[in-house]
Order: sequence, then C-alpha cells, then structure tokens
Amino acid sequence: MTELDSLRPLAAVLAPAVGVLLIVALNRRPNLREGATIASSVSTLAIVASMVPAVLDGSTYVTELGAFVPGISFTLTADPLGMIFGLLASLLWVVTSFYSIGYMRGLDEHSQTRYFAAFAGSVSAAIGVAFASNLIVLYVFYELLTVATYPLVTHDETDEARKAGRKYLAYTFGGGVAALAGTALVFLTTGSVEFTPGGIAALASADPVLARAAFGLLIAGFGVKAALMPVHSWLPDAMVAPTPVSGLLHAVAVVKSGVFGIARVILDVYGPGTVESLGVGLPLAAVAAFTILVSSIIALRQDNLKRRLAYSTVSQLSYIVLGLALLSPAALVGGLLHIPAHAFMKLTLFFCAGAIHVETHTDDISDMAGIGKRMPLTMIAFTIASLGMAGLPLVAGFVSKWYLLIGSLDAGQTVFALVLLTSGLLNIGYFWPIIYQAFFQTPEDSDAKPLIEFPIGGTPTRADGGRKNATLTSETEANGETYAVDQHPSDHLTEDAHDHDDEHHGGPPAAGWEHRALGTESTWFIMAPIATAATGALVLGIVPYTAVFLALVQQVVAGATGVVF
Amino acid sequence: MTDALVLLIVLPIVAAILPVFLGILSDRAGWYVALAMSLAHLGLSTVVANAVVTSGRLSYAVGGFQPPFGIELVADGISAPLLVLISLSTLGVVVYARRAGPHSNAFYSELALLTAGISGVVATADVFNLYVFLEITGLATYALVASGRSPRAAVASLKYLFVGTIGASLYLLGTGYLYIATGTLNMASLSEALAGVGYTPAVLTGFGLMATGLLVKVAVFPLHTWQPGAYAESPDTVSAYISALVSTAAAYGLFRVTYTVFTRDFLETVPIAADAFVLLGSVSIVAGSVLAVMQSDLKRMLAYSSVSQFGLVVTAIGIGNETALIGAVVHLIGHAVMKGGLFLALGVFAASVGARTMDEFKGLAAREPVTSAAFAVLAFSMVGIPPAIGFIGKWNIVVGAVEAGSWSVALVVVVSTLLTLAYFGRVIERMYFTHPDEADVADASVSADGGQPASDVSLGMRTVVVVAAVTAVLLGIAGSDLISIIQPALEVYFV
Repeated sequence: MTELDSLRPLAAVLAPAVGVLLIVALNRRPNLREGATIASSVSTLAIVASMVPAVLDGSTYVTELGAFVPGISFTLTADPLGMIFGLLASLLWVVTSFYSIGYMRGLDEHSQTRYFAAFAGSVSAAIGVAFASNLIVLYVFYELLTVATYPLVTHDETDEARKAGRKYLAYTFGGGVAALAGTALVFLTTGSVEFTPGGIAALASADPVLARAAFGLLIAGFGVKAALMPVHSWLPDAMVAPTPVSGLLHAVAVVKSGVFGIARVILDVYGPGTVESLGVGLPLAAVAAFTILVSSIIALRQDNLKRRLAYSTVSQLSYIVLGLALLSPAALVGGLLHIPAHAFMKLTLFFCAGAIHVETHTDDISDMAGIGKRMPLTMIAFTIASLGMAGLPLVAGFVSKWYLLIGSLDAGQTVFALVLLTSGLLNIGYFWPIIYQAFFQTPEDSDAKPLIEFPIGGTPTRADGGRKNATLTSETEANGETYAVDQHPSDHLTEDAHDHDDEHHGGPPAAGWEHRALGTESTWFIMAPIATAATGALVLGIVPYTAVFLALVQQVVAGATGVVF
Repeated sequence: MTDALVLLIVLPIVAAILPVFLGILSDRAGWYVALAMSLAHLGLSTVVANAVVTSGRLSYAVGGFQPPFGIELVADGISAPLLVLISLSTLGVVVYARRAGPHSNAFYSELALLTAGISGVVATADVFNLYVFLEITGLATYALVASGRSPRAAVASLKYLFVGTIGASLYLLGTGYLYIATGTLNMASLSEALAGVGYTPAVLTGFGLMATGLLVKVAVFPLHTWQPGAYAESPDTVSAYISALVSTAAAYGLFRVTYTVFTRDFLETVPIAADAFVLLGSVSIVAGSVLAVMQSDLKRMLAYSSVSQFGLVVTAIGIGNETALIGAVVHLIGHAVMKGGLFLALGVFAASVGARTMDEFKGLAAREPVTSAAFAVLAFSMVGIPPAIGFIGKWNIVVGAVEAGSWSVALVVVVSTLLTLAYFGRVIERMYFTHPDEADVADASVSADGGQPASDVSLGMRTVVVVAAVTAVLLGIAGSDLISIIQPALEVYFV
C-alpha cells in the first residue's frame, strides 16, 4: 500500500465548502445560485472519482495539515473505507441537488439560500467524516455535520420543526459527547487515535475494562446517528424536514456518518480481532437485531409514508451494524456493501414520497390507493426500491443481504440469519400494501390492510367486510397517541403554510386520480433523479462487481481481516 | 527589549491621564488617545511575545531594584499570549466604541486605567504588586460599570464595589500571612521560602485567603453574585471588555498563586486545596449553565455563561496536570475572544433593532444577517464544536481529567458541552427559525421612524464582531501552535 501526498482529499472537502460561499454570495440570483450548487456538486464528485482508480490499486491519498492538538495530526486520508462513504456522498449529492431544485421550486419554499447553503455544508462535513484519518478529525467533521444539518431539520420554522430540531441537536450532540469521551479514553490508553487497518495494536493489550468502556462510549456516540434503538427517536421526528433533506439525512450523510463511525471503530480502531477478544461484538449484534425487528414492526403501523420510511431506515441501518458486529469477513462485506445499497434504495423511496407530495400533496398511505395511475414512473421506481429493501434478487439489497446471511452462518450465529429473514418478511409486510393499492386499487374501491390497520392480534369480523373508512376512524381512536408529524405531515400543510397550491390537501381529487403517461407526471428535475437513483439500485444488484462499491468493500475487508474474496 | 514589559503598564497609565487634559480641546480627544494607546500597546506586546517565543522567559526589575527586594515583572509563554490578547481586545473595543460609545473622555480614561491594571496583573511576579494591580483593575471596573448612568447600573456597580473589595481584602490578608511566614513577596523566592518553612497553619491560612479572594474576582459560583449585574447593566462596550478580560486576569492570578507561589508540591501535600478547586469549579459549571438557561435577558445569560466557563478553568487548575493546565490557559484566551465577541454582537443587535431579550431575538437573523452569523459561530465555538478554539481548551481539560483519573470531573466537563448547548441553542433557534411576533416588528419600525435612530451601527462595530468570530475559528485551527508557546512555560512546574 502506497501513500500518495496529494491535496485531493482536502479539495474534496473544500469544494462543497466553497459552494456554500458561492451560494450565499448569489443569494439574490436563484438561477446562478442553483448553478453554484450543481457546479460544486459535480466538481466534488469529479475530485472524489478521480481518486478511485488509484485507491482500487491499493494506494491512499493523504493530505497532511499539521498538528491539531498535541499528539494528534489533522490529516485527511482517502483510503478504501473512506472512499466508500466519500464516493457515495458526492455521487448522491449530485442526484439530490437536481431533485432539491425541482422540489424546492415546485413548492415555492422559503429561505432557499439557507437551505442550499446548509445542504452543501452538510456534504462538505460528510466528506470530511469519510476522509478523516483519526478519531479526532472524524469527531470534528461529525460535529460540524450536526451543525450544518440543523438548519435543514428546522427548515419549516414551525413549532414541530423547532421541536424536532431541538431533539436532533440534543440527541446528536449527546452522542458526540459520548464519542468524544470514548476518543479521550482511547487516546490515553494507547497514545494514538489513528485509523489503522486491523486496529490499533496497543488496544489489544490494553486494560480490557477501559477498552470495553471506550468501545461502549464510541459505539453509543456514533449509534445515535446510526439510530440504534433506544436512541433512534430523533430520526422519525426529523421527518418534518423537506423531503430531499430526509433523503440526505437517511441515505447520504447523517445516518451514514453514524454507521461509518461504527465501521471505523470496529475495523480501524479496534480491529475485528480485538473486538472479538473483548467480547463486545455480540452485545452490539443483539442491539442491532432488536432494532431491526422492533422498528420493522413499528413501521407496519405508520400511515404517514415518510414516517414509515423513517422506521424502515432505522431497521435497515441496523443491518449494517449487525454485519459489522458479527465480524466474520462475509458479514463485514455485507454490512459495508449495505451502506451504498441502502443509500440508493432509500433515496429512491424518499424521492418518490417527495414527488407524490409535490404533485398531489398526499402524505398518508391510506390516501394513495390508485396513485399508480397518476404517477406511474414514480410508483415503478418505488416498487423496485421496496423489493430491494425486502432483499429480493436483482436489486442492490439482495447482494448485501446475501453476504449478511452467509456471514451470520459463518459466524455460527444462525439466530441472526433468522432475524434477517424475518425482517425481509416484515419489509414485504409494510411495503407491499403500498404497491398493491397504488396499482391494483382505486380510491373508491380499496380494502383495509389487515396486517397494517387492524389491531395486532386480530379483530372481530365486520359486517361491512372491513371497509377502509370504518377502520380508519377506529384505528385513530385506538391508537390514542398522535405524533406531531402525523398531525401536520411533512411539509406544512397547516393553515398558515406558505403553500400556495391550496386546491386540495392530500388524497385523491374528487374525480379520482387522472391518468398520466410515464414521465409526464412531474418535472424532469424530479423524475430524472428518481430514475437515476432507482437505476443505481438495480446496477448495484445486477452487476455488483462492475459497480465500484463491492470492490472497495472487499479491499477494506481484506485490509482488516486478511481474507481476500 | 525588557523595557517593553514595563511600558505595557506605564503607557496605559499615562494614556489614562491624557483625556482629562485634552478634553479641554475636544470631546472626542479621548477616543484618539485610546486608539493610539491600544495600537502602541499592541506593538509592545508583540515585541514582548516575540522575545518570549525566541528566547524564553523575560524579566524586568522595576526601578533597578533587583528581586527579591524590588518588584519583578515577568513575561513567559503563558503571560505573553495573554498580553497580546489584552492589546487586541483593547483595540477591538476602542474601534467598536467610536460609534457605540459611551462618548465621554472619562470613559476612555477609565478604559486605559483598566488596561493598565489587567496588564499589570498578567505581568507582575510579586504577590503584593498583584494586589495593587487587582485593585486598579477593580476600581476602574467599578467606574466603568457605573458609566451606564442608570440607577440599576449604579446599584450593580456598588454591589461589585462591596463584593470586589472584600475579595481584594481577603487576598491582601492572605499576602500578609505569607509575608509574616517567609519575609518575602516575590513569587519565585516565596516558593523557595515556602518549601523551607513548610505548610504551617499560617501558610495554609494565607493560601485559603488568597485563593478565596481571587475566586471572588473570578466569579465562581457561589461567589459570582456581583457578576451578572455588573455585566448586564453596564454599557455594551464595557460588558464586552470586562467579560473578556477582568475575570480572565483574576483566573490568571489564581493560576500564578497556586502554581508559581505554592507549587504542585503544595497541592499534593494538601489535597483538599485541589479538591476544593475541582468541586467549586464543577458546581460552577453546572450551576452557571442552569442559571443561564433561565435568563430572558441575553446579557445576563452571557454573564451566567461566564460563571460556567470559568468553572471549567478553575476545575482545570484543580486537576493540576500539564494537559489540564494547557486547557485552562487556552480556554482563558478562547473564552475572552468568544465572550467579548458575543457581548459586542449583542451591542450591535441592541443598537440596530433594539433586541435585548429572548423574545425580541425572534427572526433576528433576517434583519441582521452578518452579525447573526458571527454570533452563531461564536456560540457554537463556545459550545465546543471543533475546529473552533472552544474545543481545543475543552479537549485538553477532558484529557487532563481522564489522565488524572478524575472520572466524575471528566463527566462534568464533557456534559458541560450539552449544558452550553442548552442556553445557546435557545437563542439560535429564535434568531433563525422563529418568525418575529407582529407586534415586535411594528414596535421596531415605529421606533425606527421616531424614537431612537434606526440603525446606529457603524461598519466598524460589525467588523469587530466578525473579526472576533473569525479569530475564534482561526485560533482553533492554530491551536497546536498556541499550545507550543504555552507548553514550555508550564513544563517548569512539572519537573
């Protein structure tokens, strides 16, 4: 492995940061401002992509910026693991930029300059997280990412949005504090916080109690952004943000920075061997398995589409954590590959939810019967991505899940394989009704969905055969608790909203969904990103070896465990 | 070269007299004198700092009387950065005061006197001389607080006068005990003499009195009662200057007395002293933050924030290993930049849109974008978001606490991040993500038309605030360079 001194990792971090300045400077000229967003996203991707070939050949790019605090240098390194996240973030930023423009203009949103500036800032911080060469640098960008995403979460400036923002800051800074404490412990026990493939050697011989405590703190800290239960609840609440932000939070930057932090801790700080000898992998795997199952069950009962997707994210993130915690080489490959796989699929799903919102102002799944007629391409993309989520072949989710299953059997933990299979069923359980009613039902003729809407444990047979309206009211009453997001779903459809399209608020129009041809359902600023993200999910599923990510993942695992695939 | 050291104190004293006479010629004379003084002060402190960086410790015997009998002034890696900090703060505040006021020659005399006092506290190497400069600092501050000319400012000033004088008297009393026990007042020879005398009850009493007196001046909970009033009621320019430097000078004094005079041996032999610092500091961190969250007046909130931040510094002095002390000094410097900048930003908000309370801050970012952005940067820096300077201090203190095995302290310091976030988060949320109440906007526009002038904010005022924010970030990025200056001076105590 050769190290190349290069300014490219720094340039990749600075390109979006320069974008922030340009966006703010072009405040008064929206077209140029959006041009700046596109230009900086494309140039960021170009810089990151230019490093791919050499990294695949086993080199790393290093930018050294001198000492930061005594004993710790501020160095950016583009190694294979960092490239996975950096490439993913910069690639999806390009896609999301176009979508953001379509979405924000489609809804005539306020404070767009702040929005695009914060977006670029978030990506800059995310790439910093990716290329950080030690825990402190990672922490620096991790915290900056929190600061940069806060304006996006609170974008709506409603009470719900502010509340979600407060919760977001409290949770993520709380996690940051734990991560910092863990970093300090590692620094004091070993004198180093540098990422080393296979782990910092001194940790293996350190006092196991201290090492376990530091591991616990680091994982708890990064686990907040990775939405491990029980510290996941900021994520569903943060759904008040505009949909492209939800996409960014879920697929590109924030939650992935959490799992990426966990990946760094397991692979490059402790190393799989040390994690195993400390016996901390299994408890983490158990937490992840618990999160997978419980959040899938919660997702079943969410009627707000974005909220259901949020719980789906909570569950899918734990696939990644589970793969990392199982420590067997195949499980590591599966977990790491699920980072890009989930990103493409979940971004598609969020883009679809956003497109439906922009075009029809519909946010609740129960209002979406027959919507396949109105938004055919959107719902086809939605179908592809949800099949991938469930782990069906030919979509990205299958490949990573396959490795995860193999890996859990390799690790001798059959129970986790069962968890994964059950979760696949639950995924079908909460995605299939959406697809089914979108394509095969109409607003006038739609059934209640037993698994989703009836009380768990069955319900007495109804004389009306369970017509939807009857069950809906009883369900709302039975549910009792209502979430802020449920009352004011996603993008402020309340009375004082800035929305100018007041014709109808959600649900099908009186005459039913109109029929639209493929691709004419919305603007191309919205449709093209959806198509791109869905295609990405298919490419990763059909030709995983040709897509760069699997090669990078295998290189990481080879570096950490010595097992070459 | 060493003359620069004494000039740092003499120059502001002379400059304090000038406005009195030049006032006959012009009402604005004071400002020009203050500007010239702060520029010259900056030049001198740069010379001193440069000498310290290149050749180490600098010493000057006042009046040619050699220590231990004469008064000695010293500059080392710790005091030199602080001296530069004093010059820069003075310069910033003077530029800011040109438009913001107070517009009187008396104000500039008091400001110059305060500069002299603080420079003296930082430069002196003599415990009695330290008392003299503490009193000069105190007297100038009492006058400056009262220059707000409101009844409340007078009360705050009087309260500060009473409490501050008690603090200074306690310190003086403690100095007396030490003098009786050892027969010397020079810090270096005191530490040698104390080793010979041993830690007798008289020496212990001396330490207790000196430390308590200084802690009053630092405003650590529960000795902070003078401080919120003094910060909140004085004019914005004054709040910024005293919040940046006065408690900082006292905390520096505490550090000098503890480590140069009593040395680390003392803390090891009398662990209760260190424990008391840690306990008081930790309580102060938590109590200050809680009180800050409860405030609706922004200046009071920042004042309680200082109680909390100085708790951090005192805790680090109590932890007493090299890493923690580096953190303490870095945080002293960082806090001065951040808190001074924040108070100046409040002054801009008050002058341009009349916002002083939490409710009036709603939607402020739209009306005052640049200053709001600077305020947000400074606030996040105070929270300890890297790479700004707030993080560097906190990181070193945390690492120091863990090194010393004081887990509970490490926990408090780490959690202090969240506590700081609690009170700054409220402000930022209102500034950026809340719509102003209709009534407030109407009020503001009414007063803009009639009442007070619409935007009484000069470019200079905004520039100073932005410079403070940029400095906070740049200092953080250059943190390791700053530490490399401080470290050699601290290593002396750890051989």
